[in-house]
Amino acid sequence: MKSRSWQSADVYWGVAGAVLLVVLWEGAVRAFDLPAYILPGILEILVSMVDLQSTLMDATWMTVMEAVSGYVIGSACGILLAVILTLIPTLKRWCLPAAIAINSVPVVAYAPLVLLWFGMGAESKIVMVSLAVGFTVFLSALTGLDQANRKSIDLLRSFGANPLMIIWRLKLPAALPLIASAMRVSTTRSMIVAIVTEMLGAYGGLGWVIYQATLQIDFVQVWAAIFAASLVSLIFFGAVSMIERKVIFWR
Amino acid sequence: MTSTHALSDLPRAALRGVLGVAIVGLIWEALVWALNVPSHTMPRPSQMASAVAATPDAYLSGFLRTLVETLIGFAAGAIVGIGNGVLFSKFTRLRQMVFPLFVVSQTIPVIAFGALVVLWFGNTMLAKSVIAFYLTFFPVTVNTLVGLQAVNPKQEALLRSFGASRWQMLIRLQLPTALPQIFVALRLASTLSLVGAIVGEWFGDTTGLGVLLLQAMYNENMVGLWAAILASALLGTTFYGLMALIERTCVFWRNDL
Amino acid sequence: MLKRRLLLAIGCTLTCVGLGFSSIAAAQDMTKASLRLKWLPQAQFAGFYVAQAKGYYKDEGIDLTINPGGPNVLTENLVAAGTDTFGLSGGTDSVFAARDKGLPVISIGISHQLTPFVFVAKKDGPVKTLKDFEGKNVTTWFTGSNYVLFGMLADQGIDQKKVKIQPQQVSVTPFVDGDVDVVTATWYNELNTIKSRVPEDNLRLFVAEDYGITFPRDTLITSEKVAKENPELVKAFLRATLRGWKDAINDPKGAVDTVMAVAPTLERPHQEAMLTEAARLMEAGSAKDNGLFTIDMAAVQKAHDFLLKYEVVKKPVDLKAAFHPEFLEAIPLSDRKL
Repeated sequence: MKSRSWQSADVYWGVAGAVLLVVLWEGAVRAFDLPAYILPGILEILVSMVDLQSTLMDATWMTVMEAVSGYVIGSACGILLAVILTLIPTLKRWCLPAAIAINSVPVVAYAPLVLLWFGMGAESKIVMVSLAVGFTVFLSALTGLDQANRKSIDLLRSFGANPLMIIWRLKLPAALPLIASAMRVSTTRSMIVAIVTEMLGAYGGLGWVIYQATLQIDFVQVWAAIFAASLVSLIFFGAVSMIERKVIFWR
Repeated sequence: MTSTHALSDLPRAALRGVLGVAIVGLIWEALVWALNVPSHTMPRPSQMASAVAATPDAYLSGFLRTLVETLIGFAAGAIVGIGNGVLFSKFTRLRQMVFPLFVVSQTIPVIAFGALVVLWFGNTMLAKSVIAFYLTFFPVTVNTLVGLQAVNPKQEALLRSFGASRWQMLIRLQLPTALPQIFVALRLASTLSLVGAIVGEWFGDTTGLGVLLLQAMYNENMVGLWAAILASALLGTTFYGLMALIERTCVFWRNDL
Repeated sequence: MLKRRLLLAIGCTLTCVGLGFSSIAAAQDMTKASLRLKWLPQAQFAGFYVAQAKGYYKDEGIDLTINPGGPNVLTENLVAAGTDTFGLSGGTDSVFAARDKGLPVISIGISHQLTPFVFVAKKDGPVKTLKDFEGKNVTTWFTGSNYVLFGMLADQGIDQKKVKIQPQQVSVTPFVDGDVDVVTATWYNELNTIKSRVPEDNLRLFVAEDYGITFPRDTLITSEKVAKENPELVKAFLRATLRGWKDAINDPKGAVDTVMAVAPTLERPHQEAMLTEAARLMEAGSAKDNGLFTIDMAAVQKAHDFLLKYEVVKKPVDLKAAFHPEFLEAIPLSDRKL
């Protein structure tokens, strides 16, 4: 009961914040008479979103499929890799610096290579998203797996638990909050990486729409596509947060 | 005890890193040579080294420039992120109103607004740091908030019963408890701020690793591309390693709790 | 209250006077201006860098900053907003689009008089004539070159739906590897990359001009505001630019040196080839008689009508308002010709 009212307060105030932003934005555009190439009015953008709805729907669907597939693959690989490396500390010592090095290069730098190797279709975007999400989740999971209470580990071990059981019973639950927050942050990143890769080469999707619209100097359409991307990212973020809350509740 | 362990561990870890790089480099070189892979598919490390050696100034000045942008963006993002986290944990209403907007802000691909970034922030180094900041502050905010919310209410009640002020509670209990979480975000942020600086340099700049990357990418200069990728990796890994070291010296009490 | 307001007014006046003086002082020695390129530093823009390195802009009293472009850094946008004084924009097509969307930019010169795009097939491949494009994999950029392709196909009465046209990625590797039958290239850039990986005598080129299409690109632009308020600056900028380009074309080795000093990681042979081709595109067509950067209104009109036909431009653009040859024409023809 209490948690439900807390959630609806979240929604109310979230909406209030959004309304405030819209009013400020539209007000600034009108007050300073800003041309569309500096900042288009928010109403103009919304109208254009309705006009372009079929284009935007197709593009959004494509981008979402790429982002979600990459997200799932990346998260799964990241967690799995972290578990494996926790089980084999020697391997961890050798692999961690390499993983950090790969992760510290902006994923977009790999884009030309990935496009070359995986083509212009959805595969290259899924690979890019998995890379971006995978490393974020991996590094968080690795830290989280390390966070379990040492005394509890010793206790479990004294009862004859094997390393796999310790991970399942103790370390993974302890790592869950960190993994969850990494996965939450990764939702929006997965969309962005998919879009950016599409901008560099694709047959469709929101990034493709943005790229085309920019070249045709159609700023309102650029913003419309970005609004669509934001909306979907928010839904994605909300869904993952909800699942997270459920999982933590079960704990 | 743990902190001295961390410090003595450093040279060994660095040595292991260098050794690892050397081994990977040798295997790479040998494989490419043995399998006769064309250099536009996968260049040899020695080709990259000679590319860097041919124009060392370009890589050095690019490296330093990107480093400075990264550090400024990181520092700003870390401070604002932790500040936001603290504010959000204290003022629920503020969190409810602003946090969703933060999430929205993170869904915007900055790269789509190349011209707008120049328009709003000019051609300065600031513009690059702004993007580094923009990518950095959000994960720090999220983790600070999560960390602060994980504080044990019993401990809070205990401290309050001893007459601790809100400020003392924050400094003595809440922030230290949240520190491991915050450091995880800072480590992630060290990487993201580099990404931000590099992408920022794509908007009409003349020096920086991002410029080198972009130039190589569009000229299909695979040797140059890999050289720039490796230079970014060096910068990122060093920064990340330093953050990890600071984390270990700062959060050493964690296991004793 | 009244006193305070009075003080405020005096303060404002003093500030205004001060600002006025300082701007007059600045005008007496140097005018600050910037040029936004359409892409990163490379030999395609050699003349501008030469003019700057040799102090030609300084001679004209301009303190010029050359700002590179980048992905999604739209020159038209920055010039329209006043962030940059001058710009080298995409081409006549982007000027039409900008005017179509109400951006207050005008063109003051055109660099490439011929279509910079060329369509490339392998001689030992299945494509011998334009008719052979039917059913083959053709990649092109959807940034202007696609319309050139459509126009060429239409000229030969080929249904473009029968051609498998796909967006082209950054790399030409799919063409080199044979996954793509026809690839789009610019004369000055990708064609050189292709030549370095496929023997030149195995390449078959399809040239737009052979099919009656000319698509002038790389246009110099400025804002209506600058053109109206400071026409002398525009002329001075053009004078210095012309000197720089004449030097660059006469001494290509030196010009590439200048560009390489700005971007040392570039590959020298590639840049030299680029400058040769860029110079060829700049000297061709109407530029032979009327000098570099000339605005060939007939060619512009043709490109405009062509894009209008393909509904890239939704409504006719007032070309007289968009293209202003008068700044260039104020410079003696001998200074414009090589």
